[in-house]
Amino acid sequence: MTHVSKGRIDCRNIGVVFGSGAAQTEAVKDVSLTVEPHEFVSLIGPSGCGKSSLLSIVAGFTKPARGAATLDGAPIRKPGAERGVVFQQYSLFPWLRVRENVEFGLKMAGVSRAKREGTARTLLGLAGLLAFENHYPDQLSGGMKQRIGIVRALAANPRVLLMDEPFGALDTQTRTVMQEVLTNMWQRFRLSVLFITHDIEEAVFLSDRIYVMTARPGRIKAEIRVPLPRPRTAAMIETPEFSALVHRLKTLIREESLAAMGSELDAGGVAGFSMEMGPNGVEEIL
Amino acid sequence: MERSLDMDIDRGATVLPKPPDQSARPSALERTASLEWVRALGVRIAFAVVSIGVPLAIWYLGTRYRVQFYIRFENVPTPLEVFRAAVHVAASNTFATNIVSSLKRIFLGFFIALVFGVVLGLLIGRYRLVNRLLMPAIEVMRPIPAIAWVPLSIMLWPTTESSIVFITFVGAFYPILLNTIDGVESLDGVLLRAGRCLGASEAQLFRHVILPGVLPNVFTGLAVGMGVAWVSLIAAEMIAGQYGVGYYTWEAYSLVNYPAIVLGMITIGALGLLCSGGIRLVGQFAMPWLAYVNGARK
Repeated sequence: MTHVSKGRIDCRNIGVVFGSGAAQTEAVKDVSLTVEPHEFVSLIGPSGCGKSSLLSIVAGFTKPARGAATLDGAPIRKPGAERGVVFQQYSLFPWLRVRENVEFGLKMAGVSRAKREGTARTLLGLAGLLAFENHYPDQLSGGMKQRIGIVRALAANPRVLLMDEPFGALDTQTRTVMQEVLTNMWQRFRLSVLFITHDIEEAVFLSDRIYVMTARPGRIKAEIRVPLPRPRTAAMIETPEFSALVHRLKTLIREESLAAMGSELDAGGVAGFSMEMGPNGVEEIL
Repeated sequence: MERSLDMDIDRGATVLPKPPDQSARPSALERTASLEWVRALGVRIAFAVVSIGVPLAIWYLGTRYRVQFYIRFENVPTPLEVFRAAVHVAASNTFATNIVSSLKRIFLGFFIALVFGVVLGLLIGRYRLVNRLLMPAIEVMRPIPAIAWVPLSIMLWPTTESSIVFITFVGAFYPILLNTIDGVESLDGVLLRAGRCLGASEAQLFRHVILPGVLPNVFTGLAVGMGVAWVSLIAAEMIAGQYGVGYYTWEAYSLVNYPAIVLGMITIGALGLLCSGGIRLVGQFAMPWLAYVNGARK
């Protein structure tokens, strides 16, 4: 495998605005964050805080209203192979077999057939998926599709990996397994990773550092270093250090979730839900 | 080491996907499976026989007893008369010439519609500017049925042959175009984003993501387009033709050769069936992954 020596993501004073005119809302406000080379950084926050918008900017899909994102000092303007992305939705090409999916990035780069087949097989082997190289995505389970999605992003030889709630669509059991698979793969490749999630345990288990975002407009509320040793194992979840970190993050996030719902609560949201219902239930209220 | 790996891959690429444990299946199970398959085929054939047999029986009984019940079987030829007509024309060259000239027109018109429909459909679906430039004209022209083009087409084109091919093209073009556009517009955006962040350029996106992504829609358009192409072709041949199955059928009517009318109709049906069957076959071959998509199939 080629060794990646760079891969530093810098976001400086980023602002994201949705809509225009009177309907304009500020989604992200003055966010600065850094992912050092070979570092695994998570971004967590209540839903709607703009964490996916930030990843979309780093990926090059959208442009920020204010501020700038750079990769190793070069401004990010459009998507590129040096920034691998793993999506929350299944994004394998259904018309390509598993190995062809993994080869896609190398094929775009003009790598010879023999070489890209070799790379794809090696990576699929590492991920324990070589037996399925000739399957179509529709023949596989959700967890397998996401694993292949990660392998496909890695195969293109990116400098950084951007992951947007990649395990969000999976059931809890598969999720736990996938987290172990990912931390093992990270241990091997040591890529810089920017990982978006709303799952606190997931963020703690995987990351070197965690940014906590506030409710909309999203700002960085806290930056927390995870001092757990590497390589991470499932047993660490039981340790008091792990629990303490999770607890601390939960408190931070809870404040934000409450803040995000605050306006609704004040406006009678709770009163509305606890309203006494007559014998006809909801129909009566309507 | 790498060389031997490559050879493995080459062999592996042609093998159909199957779960890794399938090779270990006992042969008794395979026998049962093949028996099951024969049974399923038998049931399928039985259904097909009933499906085609019932209309045939109605036809036979209607002509046998000269039924007059609002619709009149009085002058309708019997199945046997049509069969005799078929045997008769099978010996002659003119009937084969008619079939060949119809097929030639269909393939030419359909192929031109395929190229224009897919290329324009991809561009219109992808680029707003092309969409705004071309769609108004297309929306105006589209409601004009291909048959309505017959008189103008005869004036426009130098030969009858080219005007008939043009009418066939008009019939096949819109279904192919609209299905291709729809395919591009409904393509899952995450696949495009995935393609772009794997380093695909715009041209590569077209070739490796958009085109295969819309292929199922294109084939839907081809199947519908082939049907409309036949409708248009037969109408054009009846009005303007020399040779062709449509011409044959209309000529039979003019010459009061009733069995030949029905023979012409059945020939058109069979040729149409053959063409759509061919498209389905090519579709299965071109899109092997669809075998694993179940959709709403029960």
